[in-house]
Amino acid sequence: MIFITGPLYAGKEEYIRQALGWGAEDFSANAVRDVHTLVPCDHLEKLADELAGKKVVIATEVGCGVVPVDPAERRRREDAGRLSCLLAARAETVIRVCCGIPQLLKGEWP
Amino acid sequence: MLSLIIGGAGSGKSALAEALCCKLEGPRLYIATMQAADGESMKRIEKHRRQREGLRFDTLECPHSLDRAEIPQGANALLEDLSNLLANELFSPKGSGADAVRRGLQKACERCANLTVVTNEVFSGGADYGEGTMQFLQELAALNRELAAEADLVAEAVCGLPNVLKGALP
Repeated sequence: MIFITGPLYAGKEEYIRQALGWGAEDFSANAVRDVHTLVPCDHLEKLADELAGKKVVIATEVGCGVVPVDPAERRRREDAGRLSCLLAARAETVIRVCCGIPQLLKGEWP
Repeated sequence: MLSLIIGGAGSGKSALAEALCCKLEGPRLYIATMQAADGESMKRIEKHRRQREGLRFDTLECPHSLDRAEIPQGANALLEDLSNLLANELFSPKGSGADAVRRGLQKACERCANLTVVTNEVFSGGADYGEGTMQFLQELAALNRELAAEADLVAEAVCGLPNVLKGALP
């Protein structure tokens, strides 16, 4: 599995589709995006195991701002971060995309 | 040469951009985008002025309408910063939208021998904002990606250190 992370609107999906030569159908059949929206979740390990069955998983970094006052918001943000760590651990390749530019964090370039 | 420096608040992106510009021979132009609206922005402007003291920058005030700015041909320019310029074009009464920024950048690229653009990493703190903020984020991200695609150098400032994403530091 290739895990793609990076800031909002950084061009994460565009990058990996181009890198793999995937059209929209390939992408929808083999990839899942916006996994940071699948939280809060009481079974993050299980969720990560399921997601790791895909060829490509994409998450947006959401944990770099001020700690939210609202406990539910804090929980979501924390879970999103933990989920990304679990996905990165399961991934063969981890790439961070910033301003449309990929940076390899783990494994080899696809 | 076009360089894009991105970073979060207090990441040292200005100092990094200034250091890059100071490696260049000849006169340097600082394109300042912040509108002095209140005490805090005045203080911020003053801090940046002090930081640039002795670095031999001429200052061109340009809070909006970069496409009409009189940038000398062949300038070594530092534009600081893109998010301020975009916010002014989107939200201030004198603004005329994101495309004005796009046109202005195009013109600045044509005019300048070297252009360094400072922009803000504001995309990693959540994805759940109001409509106006989401529009601002989308427009800024698009400008960042477009500049990064054209740029010779893209670096992210992290704790004052450059994380080079594209090209190489001079």
